[in-house]
Amino acid sequence: MNRIKRLIGGIGGDKLILMAAIIVVFALFTSLNRNFLTPTNITNILVATSLVGLVAIGETYLVIAGHVDLSPGSLVALSGVLAALLVSKGVAFFPALLITLFAGAAVGLANSLMTSKIKLEPFIATLVTQSIVRGFAYILCGGKPVAISDATFLRVSRLRFPVFLNEGSKLSFSGIPLAVWIMIAAFALFGFILARTKFGRSIYAVGGNKDAARLAGLNPQRIMLVCYVMMGVICAVGGVVFAARMNSGQPAANVNLEFDAITAVILGGVSFSGGVGSMGGTILGVILIQSFNTGLTMVNVQSFWQLVARGGLLLFALTSDYIRKANREKNLLADSKRNS
Amino acid sequence: MRDVLEFQAISKYFPGVKALDDISFEAYGGEVLAFLGENGAGKSTLLKILNGDYQPDGGKYLINGKEAHFRSPHEAISAGVSVIYQERQILMELSVAENIYLGRMPANRLGVINTRKANAMASGIISDFGLPIKPSDKVKDLSVAYQQMVEIMKAYSRDELKVICFDEPTASLSDSEIGILFGIIRKLRDEGKIIIYVSHRMSEIREIADRVAIFKDGRFVGAEDAKTSSEAGLIRKMVGRDLGDIYDSLDRDKEIGAVLLEARHISSDYVEDVSFSLHRGEVLGFSGLVGAGRTEVMRAIVGADKIKSGEVLLDGKPISNRSPKDAMASGIVLVPEDRKTQGILANLDVSGNINIALMDQHSNRLGVLDSDKESRAVEKGIKDFSIKTPSPFKKIVELSGGNQQKCVVARVMATNPKVLILDEPTKGIDVGAKSEFYQMICRFAKEGLGVILVSSELPEVIGLSDRIIVMKGRRMAGEVMRSDATEDRLLALSMMEADERISKEACA
Repeated sequence: MNRIKRLIGGIGGDKLILMAAIIVVFALFTSLNRNFLTPTNITNILVATSLVGLVAIGETYLVIAGHVDLSPGSLVALSGVLAALLVSKGVAFFPALLITLFAGAAVGLANSLMTSKIKLEPFIATLVTQSIVRGFAYILCGGKPVAISDATFLRVSRLRFPVFLNEGSKLSFSGIPLAVWIMIAAFALFGFILARTKFGRSIYAVGGNKDAARLAGLNPQRIMLVCYVMMGVICAVGGVVFAARMNSGQPAANVNLEFDAITAVILGGVSFSGGVGSMGGTILGVILIQSFNTGLTMVNVQSFWQLVARGGLLLFALTSDYIRKANREKNLLADSKRNS
Repeated sequence: MRDVLEFQAISKYFPGVKALDDISFEAYGGEVLAFLGENGAGKSTLLKILNGDYQPDGGKYLINGKEAHFRSPHEAISAGVSVIYQERQILMELSVAENIYLGRMPANRLGVINTRKANAMASGIISDFGLPIKPSDKVKDLSVAYQQMVEIMKAYSRDELKVICFDEPTASLSDSEIGILFGIIRKLRDEGKIIIYVSHRMSEIREIADRVAIFKDGRFVGAEDAKTSSEAGLIRKMVGRDLGDIYDSLDRDKEIGAVLLEARHISSDYVEDVSFSLHRGEVLGFSGLVGAGRTEVMRAIVGADKIKSGEVLLDGKPISNRSPKDAMASGIVLVPEDRKTQGILANLDVSGNINIALMDQHSNRLGVLDSDKESRAVEKGIKDFSIKTPSPFKKIVELSGGNQQKCVVARVMATNPKVLILDEPTKGIDVGAKSEFYQMICRFAKEGLGVILVSSELPEVIGLSDRIIVMKGRRMAGEVMRSDATEDRLLALSMMEADERISKEACA
């Protein structure tokens, strides 16, 4: 029990508030649009969540370590275009996937080198890659989406399991798409690594205090390198899955993807000042933000207003991060007063 | 009527420590009141409350019977309270006059600054102070002592100045410069200012102060006459017991063995040509002023800074530590100088802090940590180093300073090192924990470790070390055996130029 509790980062007051917020969002949108809480729509939300969810995993690691990555949206686009292009040129799906994963890792490596070797702030370094990588996504395909006809590639989005086909019923449950399973598996795996392994512990140590972590015998540069490369590979996977869903590599898609992912991570209790947070919080944050976004669309909120709403949500997340931090310090002080 | 500054029941809390506890006393115009106390006794915190940098959690302070409440140093300065810190707070690129009148430069109605008028005003003050500098001199071209004078003049130039505080003003000054500073302090005193003087140096306090306010562990112990009370008596009040007792009671029955660690002519970006050897069972002290390069020698040895030339030998074999991780693997560990920013991992609990260096041993091939192994290791650390914590899962910042430091020591000792380097290990921790550390250091030496102790507190280095190396200006200034070590001798080595020292010794 203890282990399970530690795995999801402890169900603290913050998490209960998040769950309550999710319930409120669901109740609100269900009352506004009765199609919100249907199996089809829930499945759609989950599929849409899968991409933000994957990126949020990488951001969870990076933000806990005191960094941030602004390039995922561009990298997802580049990966989709690259994989689609390779397959259209006759490369088989799996080799194409492998090459795409390497490309993602290379972008992650570049991000890590910029922050470690020329000491750029992560925010600025990844802003550089955000622009360059998006540029290459357009250059590779001449600005036009690359259609996918390869059957294996397309199966990535068609694959669903488990499948319960009930002949008599209209609303037969036809299984959860592969994309969602990938996200669930990734949450479980990376959540476990963060909570229970040497590497996970090192990320907290580095994010809390890089100098002290180094003097305690850790290698912060290498730890950050692994985090960035991991983020690159995750984005490549996300890009391939997304392309399969769209039947094409889309160079212009997923602008601001990192925006939603970072909002979810901060909503979930990871602190922008580093060293604090858990994967459990991120999962809740992702569910909240995706149902929020889907709901806005379903009740016909204009997309321009949606941008405003998203900005508002990020501001809310950052404000609660600030309040949590102030509370941590206040509690600490209160403790000291009690003890002395 | 003399000006009077009153503190009434001032308290201040920081995480893990009550920094000031119910402090009440008065300071009067026309007298120099010295603050005496160990590191962490609360002197600097009190100054920061007085100048509006910190807000008190309880109590108040009054100037001439009127309650003052400064929310920022700026407000304090406008109300006539200035603090001169060790670190310069002036702008190096500006001239003397521009610094003195910063933010208040004489200007015409359009806001155009009248530099000539500022220079004229400044030269008035400079000649009052009797200094050989010009108002138009760039501050960066002045010596450290004169830079400090500029700061004092800046405070002095305000008509409303009532209280001026000096926080360890002589730390980087030479004897003759100290003379000039004292002349100015006396001048300010004779003009009826309230002067607060914080220093560790007893001889200075005797020379310049009229009364001594003694602090211990965040409390005000009492005020004594600076000229008539005995030095031993003041120290006893400051530490709460005779220092001699602590050191005399230590168990020093041990054997000093063969050479364990040897540094040969090592240089880094921060130190030059440092050579020394450390024996098994030996406590080697490193003394010198702050900034003399002591910490930097240690950082070079553990690979935190790059060694540019020279070599380090452990057990006679050359080693190259490219990172603290390498050093740890070869058996050399460091407890860093600044506990808060380099020692503890503030966001982790006690267990995480102690186990951070042992993660390799506590995890399987996939890197998954074994929580049973971890909890056994932390229990052992808590027991061996008598760390006072309600639970291994308590956040480390909630412990007292001394217990936090014990966690850092427990962390590095768990790696079974051969050489233990302690950089200012007792800074900011209370006397009780200090004597525990001293016993710990002796125990480690007895067990055959080589211990390097870097410390600014002379009694501590002298009381614990078998041999002491003194650093000055990024180089070694000398080596003193325990039997020959006195505070005067170490201070002389760390402050005077070689020729100056030789002539002084020749006279004596």
